[in-house]
This record gives sequence, structure tokens and C-alpha cells, in this order.
Amino acid sequence: MPYLLQALQSLAVLGLCTLYAGAQTRASAVLQSKRGPSVLQPYRDLAKWLGKSGVVSDQAGWVFHFAPYLAMACYLTVSTIVPVITDQPLPMAFLGDLLGGALVLALASFVMSLAALDTGSPLGGLGASRTTWIGSLAEPALILVFFTVGVLSASDNPYLMNHAIAASPAAMVLPTHLLGAVAFFMLLLAETGHIPIENPAGTIEISMIEESRVLEYSGREYALVKWGGWMKLFLLSAVFMNVFVLPWGLGNGTSLEQGLLGVLAVLGKLAVCGLAIVLIDASFAKLRFFRIAEYLGGAFLLALIGIITSYVVAK
Amino acid sequence: MGSPAGVILSLDSVLILLMAFACLGSKLFDRYLTYYGVQSALLAVAAGTAAYVGHDAALWVLAGLTLLLKGYAIPTAARRLLVRRLQLKRDARMFPGLSVTLVVGAGLCGFAYLAIGPQELAHGLLSAAMVPISTAIVLLGALAMVVRRHMVAQLIGWLIMENGVFLGAVTLTSSFPLIVEAGIFFDLIAGFLIMLAMTTGLAERLHPAPPGWRREAL
Repeated sequence: MPYLLQALQSLAVLGLCTLYAGAQTRASAVLQSKRGPSVLQPYRDLAKWLGKSGVVSDQAGWVFHFAPYLAMACYLTVSTIVPVITDQPLPMAFLGDLLGGALVLALASFVMSLAALDTGSPLGGLGASRTTWIGSLAEPALILVFFTVGVLSASDNPYLMNHAIAASPAAMVLPTHLLGAVAFFMLLLAETGHIPIENPAGTIEISMIEESRVLEYSGREYALVKWGGWMKLFLLSAVFMNVFVLPWGLGNGTSLEQGLLGVLAVLGKLAVCGLAIVLIDASFAKLRFFRIAEYLGGAFLLALIGIITSYVVAK
Repeated sequence: MGSPAGVILSLDSVLILLMAFACLGSKLFDRYLTYYGVQSALLAVAAGTAAYVGHDAALWVLAGLTLLLKGYAIPTAARRLLVRRLQLKRDARMFPGLSVTLVVGAGLCGFAYLAIGPQELAHGLLSAAMVPISTAIVLLGALAMVVRRHMVAQLIGWLIMENGVFLGAVTLTSSFPLIVEAGIFFDLIAGFLIMLAMTTGLAERLHPAPPGWRREAL
């Protein structure tokens, strides 16, 4: 049964991340008084791209072809170790804690940057350099955020963090937890290329950050790249909701019904998180590039204050 | 977890600290005043909580005065009389830069916690978080005064320092003599008025100069 649930969790991430992305696109169109594409549009896009053959630069080497598969493998690995549909560790959860998950996500980002450099396209190099810069600033802040939850639960295992917060709801209003949650949400926006870091619907190559790394891709590999990006958004949102905001309502991992209920619960939670992201997308402007450091510094600062506060505010 | 009042006070004081950081990290004069006003309103909440717990009528008066004077009157007056009249918009002159300042501010926060050692404070305080946080706010206000070059920005740094002192005083002492606090209040108002008179006087003396030059001179 645990292995069945493990498979269900990864399948849910694979199959529903497209729905999550489609719902966000639709919601942000509705916010702008447009009709917008159907919620199912990403599925159609994926089917279309998967059926096409790619056009690849003759400068591209094996790294370029290899990267999307490795990145996809990374996202699938993360989907097995974080709590998405159950609050009990599934058989593969021993693979890593939150720091391990962050490491695997960083590996995916690293190979995508390598692939962007591989074709020698100027925009790819630009994107790789920008993403690496942002990543180098976001990563220390992310580690501090894990420490803020760590001081509350005395662990950096996402399941134990979930249990610690679910068991004592009063911990939700501790300054440490609130600051950590806000900082994690800021980093989530930065890591998944949303406003105020990057406009997810932007089409101007010169101002793109993450998107410009994948401009050279087409066909099946492009489908994998996009799919991977949606999975990353889905996984980070699920961690945000399940560990930081609403640690309740997950199945206990004993039966298939519990798992299916967990899928429904996580969809409901993601609706909340997605709405927040869409509202931010609609109401703020993109930051100028060199002010991104201030934004990420703000996230770092919030997490740091959270940790310092944990020593003075009684638990 | 402490008492509900302790939880509210802890949250409130962290928000007050964040407002000090927001002030330190902002570059628009208008924002400084907004953040200062919000900080003072949060301070009034802290004073009100302390008054509720201690059943202290004098503290209720203080909370009301704080909300009225610091939360509304001073920001509004400063906005009308300083920011609008001198056409102040962006405060670009600071050394070191914004990111370094924020890191130094975080370091000062850590220093406040280390220096106070909240674990060793007497038990029975409403919220032990108050002492290091108010110290950190005082230090952040001082930092704002050091890194900013503009007189009005330094004035706001000074007001933030005063808020830090007030936070510590209101929440730590069970019965803070109203007369002392009122004295501080009037000192504050007097200082503010003097500063106002000085800047407007300067502005009038420099009147023939173009506004841009005047902004630089202050």
C-alpha cells in the first residue's frame, strides 16, 4: 500500500501540475477582465509539443539534450520526498529532508543553466547568468527559512515539521513561524519566476530571466522543460501549504481512499496558494533587476529575525 | 506559549521591529512617514495591551495619546509641512548602500539579543521579547540617523529611536509614571517643532534658490 500511495503522489504531481498552471493562467486572465484560455490548455500544449520533433542548434552538444531529462528526474525525485498527499513519510521519503530537496531542485536549475550556455545563444547565456545570480542570493535565505521551521519542530524533515505545527496550532501565531512563512512565500515567487522577480506571461526576451534559458528548446524537450517548471511550482506550493500554512487535512497514508482524499485536499489548498500568487501577479510590478537583491535580502532578513526571535519568544 | 496578551505583545513588537526595518530599507520620504505612522499605531496597540493586563488607566491614556499624536498628528504634520513644502521625494543620499545597511541592521538586531541575554531576564515579565526588540529598534533608529544624510530622514530616525524607548518603557515597567511619559511626549513634540522651525527657516532663507538646490542644501 505505501508503494501504491508513493506512485499516486508522484502521479498526482505529474498530472495535476498542469491543471494548477492552467488554473493560474485562467484566473489571472479573469482578473484582467479577459476570458483567458481553458484550464485544460496546458494539457493540450503538452500533447502538442510531445508530438512534435525538435529543431536544435548545430552548436548544441549532448548537455543540451540531456538537461531536460535530468531536470525532470530531479523534480520527480523531489515529488517522492516532500509531503504532498500524506502526512506520513512514504517509502522513498528517506531519500532526503528539506535541505536535500532544495539541493535536488538546485541541481535541476544548474543543469538547465548549463544547457542554456551550451547552445551559445546570447539570450541563453544572459538567462543562465541572471538565474545563477538570483539563485545564489535565494539559496542562503531558503536555508534560513528551513531553520525557522527547524527551531519550532527541532527537525528539518518536512513530515516532522508538518506534525509539529499540526499538533500545536498555537505555534502558527509565533513570530518565528509567521516570518518564516512569509519569507518562504517570497522565495517561492522568486524561484518559480513570478512577479516581482519575473513576469510569467512576459514575451520580451531581453527582460526574461528563467524563460530565456529555454528559448532554444522545441518539440518534446520543450514539453519536458515546461512540464518540469510547472512541477516545480506545484511542489513548492504544496510544501508551502502543507508545512507552513495549513498542515491539516492530509491522509495518514494507510489506504488508497486516504490518498485520494489527500489529493483533493491538496488541490483545495493549492487553490488558495494559487489565488495569492495570481493576486500578486496582478497587483505588483516587476522589480528592476538590481533591486532583486534587495527583495531577496528582505526575505533573508525576515528569516533571520524569525530565528533570532525564536530565542526570546516563549514557545 | 505565554498568555494571550504575551502572544499579542510578542507579535506586535516583531511587527514594530519590521516597521523599523521597512523605514531603514525605504528610499521615499513619503514612505518613511507611512511606516513611522504604522509603527506608532502598533505601539499604541502594545501600550493598550499592557494597560488591559495591568488595569492601568494611565497607560490607557498613553495608548490613546500615542495613537493620536505619533500615529496621526506627527506623520500628517511632517507630510504637510516638510515633505510637501520642500518637495521631497526620493532620498538617495545614504552611505553605505541599502543592502549593506540592511545587513548591518540585522547584525545590530543580533547584537541586541546577545547583549540583553533575554534568557536571564526576570520571570514574570509580560513578554521577554520586548527588551531585546526595543533595544534593537533604538539601534535601528540610530543606524538610520547615521546612514542617512538628509535632515528630515535623520529626524525620522530619531523618532524611531524614541518609539523603541517607549516600547521598552511601556511594556516593562508595571506602572510607568504618567508624568514621566508625558514629559517625554512633550520633549518629543518640542523637538519636532524645533526641527520644523529650523528646516522651514532654512527653506525660507534659501527661498530665492531653485527648489532642487534647496533640497540639496538641507
